[in-house]
Amino acid sequence: MKKIDWRRYFGLREAGVYYALLILLGVLATIAHTRGLPPYLAAQNLGNIAYQASLVGIMGVAMTVMLITGAFDLSVASVAALAAAVLVGLAPQIGFPLAAVAALVTAAAVGMLNGAIVQFVGINAFIVTLGTLTAVRGLVLVLTDGRSLMVERADTLAQMLAFESMRFPVFLPVLVIAAGLLGLGVMRRSILQIASAVVLAVLALLAGPRFAVAAPVVYLAVFTGVVWAVLRFTVVGRRIYAVGGNAEAARLSGINVHAYKLGAFVLSSVAAGFAGVLFGCRLGAINPTALQGSELTVIAAAILGGTSLFGGAGSVVKTVIGALLLFTLTNGFNVLNLGASYQGLIEGIVVIAAAAIYTVGGERRRARRPGVDTAPDAPPVAEASGAAV
Amino acid sequence: MVGAPLLRLAGVEKTWPNGTVALRGVDLAVTPGRVHGLLGANGAGKSTLIKILSGAIPASAGTIAWRGDAVRWTSPRAARAAGVATLYQHIPLVPTLSAADNILLEQRRGWRHARDARARADKVVAMLGRPFDLDEIVGDLPIGARQMVAIAQALIGDPALVIMDEPTAALAGHERETVYRTIRQLAEAGRAVLFVSHFLDEIVALTDGVTVLRDGRAVLHAETATLNEATIAAAIAGRSVTALARTERARPIGEPLLVARDLRSPGRLAPTSFSVAAGEIVGIAGVLGSGRSELLHAIYGADASARGTVTLDGRPIALFTDETTRAGIALVPEDRARQGFVPTMTIAENIALPRRGQIVDRAAEAANARAAIARLAIKADGPDAMVSELSGGNAQKVVLAKWLTPDTRVLLLDEPTAGIDIGARIDILRTVRALADDGLAVMLVSSEFEELLAIADRILVLRDGAIVAEIEDPAATDEIALIRLAGGTLAETGVAA
Repeated sequence: MKKIDWRRYFGLREAGVYYALLILLGVLATIAHTRGLPPYLAAQNLGNIAYQASLVGIMGVAMTVMLITGAFDLSVASVAALAAAVLVGLAPQIGFPLAAVAALVTAAAVGMLNGAIVQFVGINAFIVTLGTLTAVRGLVLVLTDGRSLMVERADTLAQMLAFESMRFPVFLPVLVIAAGLLGLGVMRRSILQIASAVVLAVLALLAGPRFAVAAPVVYLAVFTGVVWAVLRFTVVGRRIYAVGGNAEAARLSGINVHAYKLGAFVLSSVAAGFAGVLFGCRLGAINPTALQGSELTVIAAAILGGTSLFGGAGSVVKTVIGALLLFTLTNGFNVLNLGASYQGLIEGIVVIAAAAIYTVGGERRRARRPGVDTAPDAPPVAEASGAAV
Repeated sequence: MVGAPLLRLAGVEKTWPNGTVALRGVDLAVTPGRVHGLLGANGAGKSTLIKILSGAIPASAGTIAWRGDAVRWTSPRAARAAGVATLYQHIPLVPTLSAADNILLEQRRGWRHARDARARADKVVAMLGRPFDLDEIVGDLPIGARQMVAIAQALIGDPALVIMDEPTAALAGHERETVYRTIRQLAEAGRAVLFVSHFLDEIVALTDGVTVLRDGRAVLHAETATLNEATIAAAIAGRSVTALARTERARPIGEPLLVARDLRSPGRLAPTSFSVAAGEIVGIAGVLGSGRSELLHAIYGADASARGTVTLDGRPIALFTDETTRAGIALVPEDRARQGFVPTMTIAENIALPRRGQIVDRAAEAANARAAIARLAIKADGPDAMVSELSGGNAQKVVLAKWLTPDTRVLLLDEPTAGIDIGARIDILRTVRALADDGLAVMLVSSEFEELLAIADRILVLRDGAIVAEIEDPAATDEIALIRLAGGTLAETGVAA
């Protein structure tokens, strides 16, 4: 049967973000233990970390798709704030469901605008979304008149709070998903799927049958699962990677590159809009500076997950792990009272270290490949394509 | 000969680290005040020779004498310091800087806008007849003026020898005239010029002496006055390595399948009409810049400014890549690394790229890839090997395999054999013939004219974006005639571009 290439699955470059999360959890648990604090690895605390990471995770999953197609979106946090403002502003008049739809449509429109400018005017995505980052934040200020908005109607407010803070028992669903993954992994001989099934099952058993998580965690899990499956199993997913890996080759293979790139912008903005809806529901209110700066956390999560900024590579599951890693750091500093001033410094170093591991690992792997550039036909190629000295 | 040679090569050889021999002992003498032409088919060793002369790569054996002394340049800067300026085919200028900044790019010390440096640049530009303003941004200049900037950049160091690698390939007619005039001026000012071109008429009109390379050897040294286009073409042709036997088609040509009417693209392609029948291989002959790739891209819908009608089986097709692909038109592009494959994907994934459907069926894709590996003799570990790890010829076979589906009805091949070894070439050509026999319509662009003669049922000759000749019976044509049609004097063909 097929020989298993362990390095391909468990090398530092492939699975480093999982190790990092495990090590960090271990270190924090040890510190908590030695200081006589309540156990850090309690299901309640882990559920909290997932809850805190959920909004960034949702945006990060869409950002990963964006990065895979070779583009970039800085405007997500502003779009989320805009969606939250639309939701909070409209909910008292038209009710929560319609206001949520309006918020998502608004977000999608910003995504369309971003994508259309990038694709059809041909301006770099970094510049365009830097512009919309500022402009959309300005729009939020205009809409809210610079003040915090609140939902005053009690019934609407209750609906919104329920949407966000409803708790789902996850014991059985997680076991079912683990069993499904296990079956799939055995069928396809995929080590990774078997391993993740085992990890999920162990986590569920440790947490116990009465463990429940907040709704955003479930939304994040479902969104991640759907995007993962699309990327992994469908032709659309393959084409998303192809568009980022070599847009010209994709175009000359009959792939509508414009549609895919535009779609990534819309997905990114809609995901941001959904995160904004959740944020608005959490407090029933919106402050015009809400979520400011979290676009950078979103991108940091994708980078921690090993997504290439050059397109063509990336994994949404690892992005979620990256987001969990960042919020475990935050959570750990708060819970263990390790000195909040060090937090930013440590986070920044972690991101750079992760990027260094991915880059250096990648180079070493390339170097090990036997002479790509010295194939017997290298000289005539140079002749054909002109003296590119 | 006029005076002592400025540069004399004796037995210069170049073997690449992997064993490929590019030059097998070239002798060449270049004399001040003369224009020397250097010709040869693709792969004959012209570019390698130019790189050695410009100091970009070292020679493996042989001697280079410069002004009588043996030299061994180790970097392009050493060659430039000695007085050799090289102008490359694709003009390496900084488009965001002004012409003056580009010309003075090599200047090593001092202020950016030193007055004396600018005066030097101005003197050179004045000598060229001021074809552009020194303060103009290079990106805003037309391509002909950009070529003049590159020439000025080469001349600023006051070189004794100017090497020009196909300086006119990208230029329009009147822009070429300016370059010709400049070359004559340089020679009259006592400099030596080594001029590389595919255009025989240019060589005959412009040069004083000619050297023809074939398979890494100089096969002809002569005074231009003793030659004509036919004798030069004969020296270029007849490469020994190819020995391609003509393959005849197995069944008669069917009905016209692909019909293009008035297909055009401003600045790239003049209005063109033609048809290709099922089972027919139509060869496209033309030199670099003649519009061969542009023609295929226009048919495939990859050129957004292309207009005209393309019909398949009488049904018109919208000129967008997803529409043409759905209709069954397939393009194997010229630059496989940039346009052909996705380097981050495996062989199986690359082959499956144009496939439609919803769910990826990995087992079927692996089976497809294994079939392609067997059919095209791709040397790879298996369907999961990365394409970026393959050699050029095998990567090219993967790009071709992408289109080996029952949906493909028209195959457009742009230089499918460029830069690959003879074994892979024969594999690919054989597959193309078999595909045509299965009823596909094939259009094949190749700089290797003997390939076209060996495989095509009909050949269209392109020059300056227009079809200038059509050869109905390639079996009765020889390569010399084809070289002359593609690069010889236009008047002979009786068609204006």
